[in-house]
Amino acid sequence: MADPTSTPDDTPAVVLDNVSKSFGDHTVLDGVSLTIQRGSIAVMLGPSGTGKSVLLRCLVGLLQPDRGRVLVFGEDVAALDEKRAADRKRLFAIRRRFGMLFQDGALFDDMTVFDNVAFPMRLHTQLSEQAIHEKVSDRLARVGVAHAEQKFPSELSGGMRKRVAFARAIAIDPDIVLCDEPSSGLDPVMSATLDELILELHRTLGMTFIIISHDTAEARKVADTIGMLANGKLVTFGPAEQVFAENHPALEQFFTRATVGPIKVV
Amino acid sequence: MDKLLRSLHTLGALVMFIGQVARSAVTPPVYLGETLRMMNVLAKRCVIPVSLAVAPVGAVISLQGISIFKLFGAERMLSSFLGTAIFREYSPALASVMVAAQAGSSIAARIGTMKVRGQIDALAVMSVDPVRYVVVPGVLACVIVAPLLSVLTNLLGVFSGWVFAVPIGGIDHGAFMEHLTAQITPADLWIGLGKCSLFGLGVGLIAGYLGLNVGKGAADVGKAANDTVVSTIVLILLVDYAVSMALLGAGL
Repeated sequence: MADPTSTPDDTPAVVLDNVSKSFGDHTVLDGVSLTIQRGSIAVMLGPSGTGKSVLLRCLVGLLQPDRGRVLVFGEDVAALDEKRAADRKRLFAIRRRFGMLFQDGALFDDMTVFDNVAFPMRLHTQLSEQAIHEKVSDRLARVGVAHAEQKFPSELSGGMRKRVAFARAIAIDPDIVLCDEPSSGLDPVMSATLDELILELHRTLGMTFIIISHDTAEARKVADTIGMLANGKLVTFGPAEQVFAENHPALEQFFTRATVGPIKVV
Repeated sequence: MDKLLRSLHTLGALVMFIGQVARSAVTPPVYLGETLRMMNVLAKRCVIPVSLAVAPVGAVISLQGISIFKLFGAERMLSSFLGTAIFREYSPALASVMVAAQAGSSIAARIGTMKVRGQIDALAVMSVDPVRYVVVPGVLACVIVAPLLSVLTNLLGVFSGWVFAVPIGGIDHGAFMEHLTAQITPADLWIGLGKCSLFGLGVGLIAGYLGLNVGKGAADVGKAANDTVVSTIVLILLVDYAVSMALLGAGL
């Protein structure tokens, strides 16, 4: 989408520079640095509780890291304080370039499925209701919930809610789509359908995807960049083929579902 | 000492929150559609409980009043007392207490649930200020709906008082109406409505604050709703007393 924050094409979508975040004594991110190029699909793997969701939240300024820079299209999100009016304006301008699929969907309970997906369009675009209707129908058809337009989230299964939430995340063709465990709660067929949709959106609209996942099959299918977080540290990160070839012990443990290895069950 | 510091911190946060709400209410974007929707929801939720709370009060005032006014041979003047008590005191206070119980708890529970389920974060990620979109409409709805409900309860309170004074109590209808209209001034009406708006403001702000600052689980949402009801009812009764004293002192 057209946006005043547009930057030259060679600026990476996301750069994390030595980002650390702790909650009390618990260090969740410990000096994480990485670069995600625009137009790529980055999958971040890692066991539960290793800060993957915290990382996503830092990207959109929902959390402030204790240390480090979070550059989104070259602008440091970590330096913006949402409580200050001028910073909030900047932050909101940056956030308009994101779509986010939350782990539990986070659909609005008092809106129908249609209104949930139309919500960002009505707020951030000048589209007519007719155009919004067509676009929402298209998005819902793509995720296979066209029949549920007039239902409320409470009437849907967990998997359907997730798909509607994905339709909302891609509603206004964002530059970057953040997905927090997109395949959890989905059956394997729907999970594969969602993967294909991600690949299609990536191919046709050039969207950048940053996906947090436990699903190794999904990582193999869609990722062109793979990272692995364990114990707050980025243990490996790079082009998918290279990371697979490198066969880092933590990654191998993850892929082979082994209980013994560098990842400790706490 | 720790407790004192925590209380001061909460008070400071509440003051900052009120400032943020005030700023958001008067600067664009104002979500008018959401405000109207909240007004509709709150009015529907409150109208029956508020009516049920105030109607018996008019009846009780007449019932008890007649026997006392009879001692002075002044039962024809019962409606003066009934009107003043309903318009200035019972209707605003009871309507507001029921708004606190129904609207306050539902706003706190709604915002708290949105927070716990990540919907507040989802709004923020979609570049929507949650205070503007969720809190301000609730506050405005309370400020507008509470006095509207009070108009209804004024009528209901006086009507139920009339039932027990005229058909049942045997007071002449003409005398009842004459003393009622002679005693109640536009000031009584406006003071009652003004108090309702003020109490509605308090309910909306406290519900919004406690809802947005809810803990992490479903039990915390229940607690936020409960705390909203208790704290706003206590606040309403205290402020009502202070306002009545101040107005009487000022000769109003």
